[in-house]
Amino acid sequence: MNEMLITLILILVKLGLIFGVVLSMAAYLVLAERKILGRMQMRYGPNRVGPGGMIQPLCDVIKLITKEDFVPARSDKWIFLFAPGLTALTALLSFAVVPFSPPLTLFGREIPMVVCDLHIGLLYLFGLSSLAVYGVVLGGWASNSKYSLLGAMRGLAQMLSYELALGLSLIPVVMTAKSFSLTEIVMAQSTWPNILQHPLAFIIFMISITAESKRTPFDMPEAENEIVAGFHTEYSGMRFGLFFVGEYINLIVIGAMTTVFFLGGWHGPFLPPVVWFIGKVLFVAFLFIWARGSMPRPRYDQLLRFGWKVLIPLALLNVVITGAIRLAMNS
Amino acid sequence: MNFWRDIKGTLQPFWITLGYLFKKPVTIQYPEEKRTPPPRYRARIVLTRNPDGSERCVACQLCSAACPVDCISMQAAEAEDGRRYAAWFRINFARCIFCGLCAEACPTMAIQTTPDYEICNRDVLKLVQEKEDLLIDGCGKDDEYNYYEHSGVGVANERGGNEDEYGPVDPKALLP
Amino acid sequence: MPKLTIDNLEVTVPEGTNVLEAARELDIVIPHFCYHEALGAVGSCRLCAMMFVDGPVTGLQMACMVEAQDGMVVSSTDPDAIELREHVIEWAMTNHPHDCPVCDEGGECQLQEMTVAGGHGVRRYNGKKCTFTNQDLGPFVQQEMNRCITCYRCVRTYRDYCGGTDYGVFGSRNRIQYGRFQEGTLESPFSGNIIDACPTGVLTSKPFRFKTRLWDLQEAPSICPHCSLGCATIPGGRYREVQRVKAGINRETHGFFICDRGRFGYDHVNHQERPRQARVDGQPVAVAAALTAARERVAGMAREHGPNSIAFLGSSRASFEGSVLLRDWAAATGSQQLVYEAHQGRDHAARTLAARLGEHGRSLEDLRQSDLIVLFGADPLAEGPMLALAIRQAVRNGGKVIVIDPRPVELPCAASHLPLAMERLTDVLTALAQKDLHAFDNHEHAFLENLSEQFDSAQRPVLIGGADLLGGKGVDALCSTAAQLSSAECAVGVMTMLAGPNSYGGALLAGDGPDFDTILDAIQEGTIRALVCLESDPFREAMDPSRAQAALGHLELLVSFDATPGLAAQRADIFLPTRANAEMAGSYMNNEGRLQAFQAVIDPGLPISETGAGNHPPREFFQTTPGSAPEADWWLLAELLERDTTLAALRKTIEQSDECFVGLSAIDAESTGLRFSAQGSLPPAAEQDLLQTGVTDALKLLAITGPVGSHWLAHLSSPLAATQPKPYVVLHPEQAEKLGLSAGDRARLTTHFGHCHVVIRTDEKMVNGLILAPQLWDTALEGMVPGSMLDCQLEKEGKA
Ligand code: SF4
Ligand code: SF4
Ligand code: SF4
Ligand code: SF4
Ligand code: FES
Repeated sequence: MNEMLITLILILVKLGLIFGVVLSMAAYLVLAERKILGRMQMRYGPNRVGPGGMIQPLCDVIKLITKEDFVPARSDKWIFLFAPGLTALTALLSFAVVPFSPPLTLFGREIPMVVCDLHIGLLYLFGLSSLAVYGVVLGGWASNSKYSLLGAMRGLAQMLSYELALGLSLIPVVMTAKSFSLTEIVMAQSTWPNILQHPLAFIIFMISITAESKRTPFDMPEAENEIVAGFHTEYSGMRFGLFFVGEYINLIVIGAMTTVFFLGGWHGPFLPPVVWFIGKVLFVAFLFIWARGSMPRPRYDQLLRFGWKVLIPLALLNVVITGAIRLAMNS
Repeated sequence: MNFWRDIKGTLQPFWITLGYLFKKPVTIQYPEEKRTPPPRYRARIVLTRNPDGSERCVACQLCSAACPVDCISMQAAEAEDGRRYAAWFRINFARCIFCGLCAEACPTMAIQTTPDYEICNRDVLKLVQEKEDLLIDGCGKDDEYNYYEHSGVGVANERGGNEDEYGPVDPKALLP
Repeated sequence: MPKLTIDNLEVTVPEGTNVLEAARELDIVIPHFCYHEALGAVGSCRLCAMMFVDGPVTGLQMACMVEAQDGMVVSSTDPDAIELREHVIEWAMTNHPHDCPVCDEGGECQLQEMTVAGGHGVRRYNGKKCTFTNQDLGPFVQQEMNRCITCYRCVRTYRDYCGGTDYGVFGSRNRIQYGRFQEGTLESPFSGNIIDACPTGVLTSKPFRFKTRLWDLQEAPSICPHCSLGCATIPGGRYREVQRVKAGINRETHGFFICDRGRFGYDHVNHQERPRQARVDGQPVAVAAALTAARERVAGMAREHGPNSIAFLGSSRASFEGSVLLRDWAAATGSQQLVYEAHQGRDHAARTLAARLGEHGRSLEDLRQSDLIVLFGADPLAEGPMLALAIRQAVRNGGKVIVIDPRPVELPCAASHLPLAMERLTDVLTALAQKDLHAFDNHEHAFLENLSEQFDSAQRPVLIGGADLLGGKGVDALCSTAAQLSSAECAVGVMTMLAGPNSYGGALLAGDGPDFDTILDAIQEGTIRALVCLESDPFREAMDPSRAQAALGHLELLVSFDATPGLAAQRADIFLPTRANAEMAGSYMNNEGRLQAFQAVIDPGLPISETGAGNHPPREFFQTTPGSAPEADWWLLAELLERDTTLAALRKTIEQSDECFVGLSAIDAESTGLRFSAQGSLPPAAEQDLLQTGVTDALKLLAITGPVGSHWLAHLSSPLAATQPKPYVVLHPEQAEKLGLSAGDRARLTTHFGHCHVVIRTDEKMVNGLILAPQLWDTALEGMVPGSMLDCQLEKEGKA
């Protein structure tokens, strides 16, 4: 009884911690992205509120909250209202299985530094990312607007296509760790991070996760210069804010996944494991921002063709080769 | 080979943006640093005066006809000496898109755009400016032209007294 | 029907069409100045050059001067023709001052258009330009001679078409000046037409001076509300006021020109005192509340005192649709007390005409083609000036004009005149019909004999009467005479000048209801307790205003719908503001029974010149336009009767309920109008015969319609104020001598209205023994309603 209560309390504490950290990180990631992109284009980015623009995220939130929450006429009202929440929710839920440090021993108790160490953590992540498609599709469909619908359809096709390549790229990682549990996968990289063992898988993973998360250069679902703002064209105020925040939480999730699957998780010399973990996550986030500052958007048909004709065969090949090598090494 | 070119084309931008990341931004920090636009910049619109100090605008309504957003309105009137002038003249700067077509259309050089771009206001009615607000004491970009020196209605000079005119004819003269 | 080829396109045109018109049929517009459909071709501007390639005529010719003939092959794009046009326009521009920015013609300037069309883009002539001195041509026309291109259109309009004599052309070579011999006001009542005719900015409208450019004007086809002829006009409005009126084109009625009353009489729409607020018992209320009050109180009155305790008075100013709805309201109430004209004589005349006109109806176009026109008690310049212009065209076409009238009728053309006392007009008509002239002596006999003979030889004779002098009996006699003189070969036409734009329509609807004098009696007796006035002002329009005012004092309920500051509007218990003619769509039926539609030009609202007090408009935002409460008369009545309030639906229902108005919903404002076969009924016989007023020894005064600016709507229009003369009376010189007066003397006129100071004028063309006094608003002669005969005294006050 006592045991369960303590576990429950601990889970709640970790949950709160992650919630706080992730949300504020997401907020500041927005700022960081705007500033970094600004500098890459020889601008300052936001620098007016607070020192160096540090209060900007707060202002944005206030602005979004105080804006009119507009619901277009003849939209499917309830779905329209509910869709943005779905996006943010799935992104947040993903964090449940991400280990950010080795288990900590406190007062003689071993506390796993993960909210819930599922042994099918990886599958759980996939499940959630499939659910994330719903936020986009429902939001776009319920808006009763051409642009939103186009954006939603693009998002649907794109996310379904790249999920395949994404899954395939992770099979070698699972083969190495012999487990679906994220903690196990990190543990398996204590000597070599997976990026060195499976460089091709890493590249495929990075490309497909970008497409999966609709980030530039694969942001067709919201391509401003083609379809206004895609699936969230009709959203305003905090509902738009939820889509927005969801996207940045997603960025952190991606950072964490990359770190866990390929960059060796919390492993690293000298510094405490949590610092390594956060550092790696931020580094991956930077990579994404950098890509946004550097790459143009391909055409939509190019994107799908690349996914189906190049990435998936390549990922399959990678699985076969990795399997063959492992078989050869084991025997 | 094309493949390598594509790879290079994909990666090179990363290098360039990384370089920019460490360069000094070119942004002008507006309220603190100000920049003087070139003289032909199209911002605040003014009504100028003739070299002799009289109002240039003859209220011909060409500017209001040219204005694509219909933000100029006026009423013409006749002065004692026969001069056509604007009894009132209103520009709604809240609507103006600073295209400069009005200045382009003006046959008297009266309406001109200036580089003064700081006209924002929270009170929309303050952006609705009347003739008193628009009229300046000067000729603006052309300090010579006076429309009535060229038109035949005899306002600046006596009838027929302009440079390119004969004095009034005598229709009752019998000479051939 | 010649068939010719222009620019490789074939066109067949009626005989006598010139090539310029033929090209216009094909939408090929050849630059031209001097040609005008109404003025004809003179070939003086040399701009309309076309190359005649093949056929009966060849070479470079002026298209306006060549009649279209079979087999002609013409090119408007021939290089020679283009070059000639380019040079001609360049010559025309050599002395032009190029002052478009301060020229009122700018924006609708034919010279600008032709310069562009003619291909003259760059000025090559650098010599000096000659200049001219302007003349002050009076309150209507502004002159700026420098801009003239000597096309002669003004002179041809003013002198040839309109018959003016005081405007012409002077000088030679490049000293040609157009104007009067001496500076002064243009005398012709059609002077405004030279503004329309002049293709440049030489002649522009003075009241409209510097007001608005064409591109800012809201314009729509309308019908002039000033007389019963129904000329087409194009009013232009801006900043919530009507600022000018241009002539519209209707070849069936007035043609291309209009009179100065119509052109400058628009200002009643903008009148400062115009009531714009609905009122109930002196309290301002919303229109809806006033309508409810009107509906309920009238219904209440009907319940309490019977339906016939309510009288409905329409007017010749109200739209036809509104008039129909007034009839429907009366019918719904159950009241038989419905009349459309407060002036008994005019009422009887209009109803008689509507009942008897039938096949005798003639349009102004028919009149222009007529070869014999006889006017009985009609003074066109006072009662419908465009009639005078149509008569002039008939004379120009070889027709004869004969005037039989107690007044000295002025016409812009030659006419023989027989002064005859008002009460004898009917006798003449009967005598002519019966060809029995024995009752007339000496010169009268000779005159009528001659007239009778002319009738025998005329092909298309028309009799013209005036409602004011003829009354019901006279119009009846007019129609009978026309019927009796008509034969199988030659139908005699009739036209009668009525009171206002919809007099005929009102007369059709009035049926054989009582006239207003009967209603006045009933009011005085107390059997009628409520009066509904639709755009009428009985206090001023009834035959005897003082009697009307006394009677109307007995009313328990006065409901008034009006757009002008009349007395009824001021005194009404329930007042509803209506829209002026330029502010609404609707239709009027003119004096030949032609229904013509008009459109709304502007929406009602306090003019910006008023809200801004001359300066810029107020700097505040309104939810509603100030002063925008007025609604169309038919809208108000439809709302009151809880009908569909769109004009289209209204016209449909009228068509359905009255078979004689089928076609109403198809009329549109651009067409020439529609004549209905509807026939009215004769009015009840008048108790007292207008034409036989008791003979006493006192001096007889006949009130007549004054000059251009003296009608009610015209009087409310400030541009016409300048034409308003000082109060005057006209006498025959012999009678003046008898009274010891001579022309120019000041005198004191006493009637039962009181007395006033007048100037004496004499005219020997009028009948001896009568004093003529025009009704002049805002003077002591205001109460003298045209057509009424009064006893008066005239005392000399001072010498000329
Ligand atoms: S600048 Fe353009 S928009 Fe502004 S007033 Fe002039 S014409 Fe109008
Ligand atoms: S175009 Fe020039 S002269 Fe004409 S109204 Fe405008 S400012 Fe005045
Ligand atoms: S007449 Fe025509 S061309 Fe001449 S100044 Fe006036 S607008 Fe210009
Ligand atoms: S005044 Fe006008 S109409 Fe008359 S000749 Fe000159 S340009 Fe022609
Ligand atoms: S229009 Fe033919 S010559 Fe003037």
